[in-house]
Amino acid sequence: MKNDEEMRSAPPQAWIVRLATVTPLGGTVHELWDNLMAGETAIGPVSRFSTGSYQSDVAACIPDLAPMDGKSRIHDLINRLMAAIGPVPPDACLITATTKAGIDNLERIRRGGPADPRDILLSSLPETIGRGFGLTDPGINISASCASGAIALARGAAMIASGLKDAVLVCCADLVTEFVFSGFSSLGALSPGPCMPFDRRRRGMSLGEGAAALLLMGPHRARKEARPALARVLGWGASNDAAHITAPAKDGAGLARAVNLALTRAHLHPDQISAICAHGTGTIHNDAMELVAFGNVFGKRRFPLFSVKGAIGHSLGASGGIEAALGAKVLSTHTAPSTVGFRKPETGAEGRVHTHPVRFSGDYLLSTNSGFGGINAALVLGKGDPQ
Amino acid sequence: MMAHVTGVGWVTGAGTGTGKNRHDSHPTTGQLPRITRDLILDETYLHFGRMDDLSRLGLAAIGFALKDAGLAGWTEPRDIGIIAVSAWGCLQTDMDYYETVMPDGGRRASPSLFSYTLPNTFLGEAAVCFGLTGTGYVINEVSPSGLAGLLACLESISCDEIKTMLCGACDLECPAGIPRKSGHFPGAVFFVLEKVPQSNPSPYGHLHLDKCGAISFNGKRIQTLVQLAHACRVPIPQ
Repeated sequence: MKNDEEMRSAPPQAWIVRLATVTPLGGTVHELWDNLMAGETAIGPVSRFSTGSYQSDVAACIPDLAPMDGKSRIHDLINRLMAAIGPVPPDACLITATTKAGIDNLERIRRGGPADPRDILLSSLPETIGRGFGLTDPGINISASCASGAIALARGAAMIASGLKDAVLVCCADLVTEFVFSGFSSLGALSPGPCMPFDRRRRGMSLGEGAAALLLMGPHRARKEARPALARVLGWGASNDAAHITAPAKDGAGLARAVNLALTRAHLHPDQISAICAHGTGTIHNDAMELVAFGNVFGKRRFPLFSVKGAIGHSLGASGGIEAALGAKVLSTHTAPSTVGFRKPETGAEGRVHTHPVRFSGDYLLSTNSGFGGINAALVLGKGDPQ
Repeated sequence: MMAHVTGVGWVTGAGTGTGKNRHDSHPTTGQLPRITRDLILDETYLHFGRMDDLSRLGLAAIGFALKDAGLAGWTEPRDIGIIAVSAWGCLQTDMDYYETVMPDGGRRASPSLFSYTLPNTFLGEAAVCFGLTGTGYVINEVSPSGLAGLLACLESISCDEIKTMLCGACDLECPAGIPRKSGHFPGAVFFVLEKVPQSNPSPYGHLHLDKCGAISFNGKRIQTLVQLAHACRVPIPQ
């Protein structure tokens, strides 16, 4: 472990050396990227359960994701993710992120169907993945609502930066279930149609499902194993609004604090950030809060700001992981994808959010997430090695 | 890497208390005491009534720990974070919520219950109640020791991300029909960890994280959070 002085002075670095995503826009990052570049959306009618009583009837579901032999759909999702990322070093530390794991099995149990109750426990996710990869580390799950994935990545990067670990596998996953859909509907948070992040006519969020896996390594080990950096996790920060358990603080102070922590940790000035992958759920309050927070940190500087939730929905605990995986692609191509669903800019989004992909110069991307419980998380990603 | 333990608070089947009171903090299978607002909060704090049982339990133990550390009173929000481990989290609330979804095709789904169907919601309640603006998340361990949270707190303090953290564990009774994990008891215990003691001039001792990730308290290796709770009850030799 590095001593305190080393940890304070050295810019921390955790390299992303492998990554994979499974989303409603494809089973690989490349498919997801190509579909994003084409402005596609996976948000459509939900057939998995009846939506007749709810505020919306759309979400972004992976069409053929199925429960098997009393097991939650999360197993099918995780199996696809594990196949997509391939073998992982058995000594890698395991951190997962999920908000509700296999909560669809609670639905089945309460409705009298056969279902494994173990899938409902959040610790079932690291248990399943650790067993599947044959990892020696038992693993942990991080539960921080919609910031779970970003905080799991931050935790993994911190472990590498401190010198405690040199390989950490971060896996994030969440499902579209009636449990979650009904809940957000009861709160009045769902958009009747596909969501419209940062658009002045936005009416709420669209749920989505998906998973991401990112293998982090310390630079020394990555070089030793000849693994190029696909991207670098350079900074991270988290904060609590301490204002409300379900609504974001209007002043954006909590998110701004998380962003400033991440920038400090990365030893970067706000002017060095080239683009932002925002949480951008499409709810009135979230998007407004984010624009205020970004204004407080970055002033009126215009740079690409995008949300992928109009394309793949809001995958809750998985969103931070999926967005970080996409971030590697954003940085390697110097291209910010369009924000699907966005047309007329909300105040503060003018000249930043775009209806088409935008090229940019620079090598640093900020990715942010916020969620229930007042939590905010920010990651600063740096460009990887030339591919 | 070091941090001082300056406060301890708990709610277990044996009762409630703070480190200074030296009440029995050992987790037991006994029924948890009823948590009432006047136990921890000013009676004007109106949000207490809407909280689920997990939030009340966690809020009580966090409140006791802050009080023990001399950090209960506040006027401006403080940069204090919370990391808690939990086995079942809000599973009982999940079940209660889904009971409101099943009848009538979901028309009666309860928004107030749904707000508590995330394990970290109680950390948000604590943040609002005590003005805590640092990070906050729940860890679900596969191998339960409670130390994953302690490790994360010590790292955060060590690299100057934050100077004060609350670290602990919080669980209600395992809900019916859910496989029970060995070594888990209902209750909550939280510790205040500080880089430099602020309001408590007599900390319980210091935690040290070595290069291999092993944690010791006052020079003695600890392997579970319960061991730390016990160790805090032993007076430090002068």
